[in-house]
Amino acid sequence: MASLSEEVLLVVKKVRQRKQDGTLYLMAERIAWGPEGKDRFTVSHLYADIRCQKISPDGKAKIQLQLVLHTGESTTFHFSNESSALKDRDAAKELLQQLLPKFKKKANKELEEKNRMLQEDPVLFQLYKDLVVSQVINADEFWANRLGDINSTESALHNNKQEVGISGAFLADIRPQTDGCNGLRYNLTADIIESIFRTYPAVKQKYSENVPHNLTEKEFWTRFFQSHYFHRDRINTGTQDIFSECAKQDEKGLKSMVVQGVKNPLVDLMSLEDKTLDEGYGASTTPPSTSNRSVKESSNAAIIKRFNHHSAMVLAAGSRKGETPTDQASETSSTDGNSRDSDFFQPPVKKVKLQEAIEYEDLQRENRPKTVALNLKKSDRYAHGPVPLQSQHYTTSQDIINSVNYIQHEMVNYKPNLTQVLSSTAASSAIAALSPGGVLMLAGGQQAINQMVPTEVQGELKHLYAAAGELLRHFWSCFPVNTPFLEEKVIKMKSNLERFQMTKLCPFQEKIQRQYLSTNLTGHLEEMLQTAYSKFHVWQTRRMMRKT
Amino acid sequence: MKLNIDGLLVYFPYDYIYPEQYSYMLELKRTLDAKGHGVLEMPSGTGKTISLLSLIVAYQRAFPLEVTKLIYCSRTVPEIEKVVEELRKLMEFYSKQTGESNNFLALALSSRKNLCIHPEVSSLRFGKEVDGKCHSLTASYVRAQRHSDPNLPACRFYEEFDAVGRQVPLPAGIYNLDDLKDFGRRKGWCPYYLARYSILHANIVVYSYHYLLDPKIADLVSKELAKKSVVVFDEAHNIDNVCIDSMSVNITRRTLDRCQNNVDTLQNTIHKIKETDAAKLKEEYRRMVEGLKEASVARETDIYLSNPVLPDEILQEAIPGTIRTAEHFVGFLRRFMEYLKSRLRVQHVVQESTPQFLKDIFDKVCIDRKPLRFCAERLQSLLRTLEIADIADFSAVTLISNFATLVSTYSQGFTIIIEPFEDRTPTIANPVLHFSCMDPSIAIKPVFQRFQSVVITSGTLSPLDIYPRILDFRPVTMASFTMTLARTCLCPLIVGRGNDQVALSSKFETREDFAVIRNYGNLLLEMSAIVPDGIVAFFTSYVYMENIVASWYEQGILENIQRNKLIFIETPDAAETSMALEKYQEACENGRGAILLSVARGKVSEGIDFVHHFGRAVIMFGVPYVYTQSRILKARLEYLRDHFQIRENDFLTFDAMRHAAQCVGRAIRGKTDYGLMIFADKRYARADKRGKLPRWIQEHINDGSLNLTVDEAVQLSKHFLRQMAQPFRQEDQLGLSLLTLEQLESEEMLQKISQIAHQT
Repeated sequence: MASLSEEVLLVVKKVRQRKQDGTLYLMAERIAWGPEGKDRFTVSHLYADIRCQKISPDGKAKIQLQLVLHTGESTTFHFSNESSALKDRDAAKELLQQLLPKFKKKANKELEEKNRMLQEDPVLFQLYKDLVVSQVINADEFWANRLGDINSTESALHNNKQEVGISGAFLADIRPQTDGCNGLRYNLTADIIESIFRTYPAVKQKYSENVPHNLTEKEFWTRFFQSHYFHRDRINTGTQDIFSECAKQDEKGLKSMVVQGVKNPLVDLMSLEDKTLDEGYGASTTPPSTSNRSVKESSNAAIIKRFNHHSAMVLAAGSRKGETPTDQASETSSTDGNSRDSDFFQPPVKKVKLQEAIEYEDLQRENRPKTVALNLKKSDRYAHGPVPLQSQHYTTSQDIINSVNYIQHEMVNYKPNLTQVLSSTAASSAIAALSPGGVLMLAGGQQAINQMVPTEVQGELKHLYAAAGELLRHFWSCFPVNTPFLEEKVIKMKSNLERFQMTKLCPFQEKIQRQYLSTNLTGHLEEMLQTAYSKFHVWQTRRMMRKT
Repeated sequence: MKLNIDGLLVYFPYDYIYPEQYSYMLELKRTLDAKGHGVLEMPSGTGKTISLLSLIVAYQRAFPLEVTKLIYCSRTVPEIEKVVEELRKLMEFYSKQTGESNNFLALALSSRKNLCIHPEVSSLRFGKEVDGKCHSLTASYVRAQRHSDPNLPACRFYEEFDAVGRQVPLPAGIYNLDDLKDFGRRKGWCPYYLARYSILHANIVVYSYHYLLDPKIADLVSKELAKKSVVVFDEAHNIDNVCIDSMSVNITRRTLDRCQNNVDTLQNTIHKIKETDAAKLKEEYRRMVEGLKEASVARETDIYLSNPVLPDEILQEAIPGTIRTAEHFVGFLRRFMEYLKSRLRVQHVVQESTPQFLKDIFDKVCIDRKPLRFCAERLQSLLRTLEIADIADFSAVTLISNFATLVSTYSQGFTIIIEPFEDRTPTIANPVLHFSCMDPSIAIKPVFQRFQSVVITSGTLSPLDIYPRILDFRPVTMASFTMTLARTCLCPLIVGRGNDQVALSSKFETREDFAVIRNYGNLLLEMSAIVPDGIVAFFTSYVYMENIVASWYEQGILENIQRNKLIFIETPDAAETSMALEKYQEACENGRGAILLSVARGKVSEGIDFVHHFGRAVIMFGVPYVYTQSRILKARLEYLRDHFQIRENDFLTFDAMRHAAQCVGRAIRGKTDYGLMIFADKRYARADKRGKLPRWIQEHINDGSLNLTVDEAVQLSKHFLRQMAQPFRQEDQLGLSLLTLEQLESEEMLQKISQIAHQT
């Protein structure tokens, strides 16, 4: 029986599994089922192992829930309580729906990572096949050592990965379709939801606040599309609308962006005018006050505001990751052109922009590195899309020019030095000495292994070496053995090594003997194993002595 | 390189030169030689500023007695700073070539907001607040009071400057706004007052139009500038509006309410002072009797730039007895105010001339013309006497008294319109009295009279002859230079029809037409699919843009555009628009591409450049006519017709086309730049409209691209964009639109240049 500390989230009675009545338990980390009248679980799955759940269609007589595992196995539960079967099933389904994604992410990430590593590294993959698939060691052991690497490489990988931006028109992609009976249907994909969340963090916050405690996911999105927030041109705001707060938050965000001002002084309209006319002077009339604007006009203004905000948010979502908080802090302080310390930040931006603005590049003599102009013979091809390039390493055109020049220079200056060559007798004796069987080649009489052994045997030997190396690495990494865990491990590793010798090495030896090849091919491998064994024996006898 | 411009040695800080720059300098030199005024048009991005600076600096060095100062007026703060940076480049070139450091002093001047370094004052956001706060710390009587009470707050920068700053002139060099601030910080001097003091002996001053054209500021800042100066108005295509703005006054009920409060405060202060310090008022009275002799002496000796608000006659006379004492003057103000209040109570629109107004005021409240004219001066004197620290609080009463002086001084060129409500909201009473200047020459007249050469220049001044007419001056040179191009980097297209042959136009009758709006939307959509990076679209007015955006939204056009590019839209709020602009640039920069929807005559169309990928296409939806129903505009058109013989339609078209040219010109900022210019209105095809575009745009419109459909325009654009995307090297330009010194000196080239220049 599972430990008592496990939290049970849901208990459903009268659930049949394999025609046996029982009780279904949903716990914090796993789902379990036990037959009636017994106090142990015959079925128990960690949530992380579950790939998905399936339910029987509504109309069906049997109300079932199927769990599909990552391994491909599946377990089916049949809810047999007549009065509340449907309700029970839905409760279980809802709960699973919330629980699974949490574990899924973690599991998926690990799986993906492992999968990726195996794909990227053929040696590792072979090792995996040799050791895990042939069940010399189990997968966990195999990964136990690797995962440390994963975590360290992971961060580096994430830094390199480029964030994918958001389409500006993602809201336009959610075209409502009429479903034929006075309703609208919105199709949401995970991508769109992700886009919405990234663009409007306020909605994401609402989502995490309300789903699943107050609303189901479906209800949430229904309300989202009904809300004034989505249809910003509708002015009448219901106060009970959960999104009215989002709108306010957005408004605030927009305001703070506006207050923050702009970094580039050349586009700052506020400080453009040097000396504005005092109030009351000037030919133009004062702008109409906002109070007497009609509803239509203010709704138009709202649309315009919304577009600006939307575009800004989309833009920000694309570049949000790169910015570090300190960066932002310095930016904000540098934007406020009036505060005193900001003056120390401001000039550089301003200077650069001013210099850019007064630059006439064509009036100056060029002193940039010379580049080769693109000479198009067929401009059609240029106009019709790019061709993928395979090579990753580019040399700049300057490099190419340099090297061409260099080679040209070399060739021009090349003169064969005919007086200082070897005499023909000396040359032929040198060739004879260097040919196989010659004076200088005696040391190399032993033929290289690649000439003696057929390639498939070579390959096999390579794999054996890799596998043995891996196992030995595990083995040696246990020393010095100073914890009970390591003791256990070292013993296990020893048996792994023996098993390896039995299942892999010996058949190989027999094979090469059958092919009458020199048996000392595996000599070194055996030597290594023997060293490990003797080390193990030394350690074991010492341990015995200490115990006695 | 060193150039020989008509016998003058000009240092030009680049290795190459555009032919039109050479022509421009030649023309400019003639203007200076003749000591007259000039109107010069040259496309933006052809190095107008550096040509101007190179020539005038060379002229100043060659004839230091003929031209003592260059006053360079530009419109926006970034423009001012750009000019100073270009000047710095030129000066560095000079010292490198001649090997000696020259003793030129050049500086930029801007408002306190941009120059203040006082920690508290400079943290205020708005220019007016900064001015007010500064005044409250540095006004003369505030400082006098501090002698008796040292605990009063002071501005240490000003005190320091006042103590030692005037003794040693600012060392020679180029001072941008930030340099002035740095210098001020190092020395502990106030940069603003340092700059204001230093412009008197600087060789080059760069500041904004207002310091010369707005009489209220010009009187403070610029009146002592030397007569032998050259004045340059850059980006001057809107100069008439700046002139008019500086002389017009609007009075609302709110103004009068605030004015009432001001007058009450004045009264109380007078009472208080009377009890404590009656001598002060007596002293003021004595001064009033003496009259404004000082100013009159100064003007006669030609030291001052005359102030159009302060007419000559006033200076001869003493202040009339009716407003000489403080109490009488306050009473006078009250009467005047009550009269204005009664005028604002009208139920229908009233329009009258200034003499009519003066007659009416005399009949109703017995206020004579003469005391009215002294109103502004009298109030200034009173405010000084009463030692009122925060002038900003008294803006309302200052406004009223300025109005009084203006209305009684000018019998022509102004009109008074009283509107009881806005046209769009006839039910809401919001009476406004517009005192509107219709003659831009009034404000600029003193500038033309005082300074020996005034050069008006911009990228878009076509048709050239209209500016001398509306500004009432006689130029010695007028020239328009085109942009010589090695490749046609601009592509103006006039789209007159939709794909369904619906005529595209923003004219009033078809404004609400869905077919037109849809076709406009299609045009933008199609363009968004083929144009790389940034597209800027301009609408004729903000209301029009709002309506179109709303109906595009309903029709789903915007959503489709969003698939191609992000959309940013100008709003009436400047801060919000700035943010949108920056995001727009960011989106262009990171390759996503964006569209900016904006308004002609708006801030974006006037002040922001869309270089290179920030604007690969500009679409002008409709012809940006000014709102013709406004009574002020009608009055101005009438005035132009009667006094300058300019027909209404001519002026309206001229005004619309200069704004359109401004908008589309935003995208081309140089010869390496390229961009589409799409005029989406069939009216652009007419000769009277097309003929008013600048020459450098006009000459690239061929007859085939006069009335295109959307599809045709897309095809042409695709072709153009592909061609432009090919590499463009310096060698391609050399000899055609870019010259080396040797090429420039060849006889053949000189002939060619003069031929191009005299096509006009």
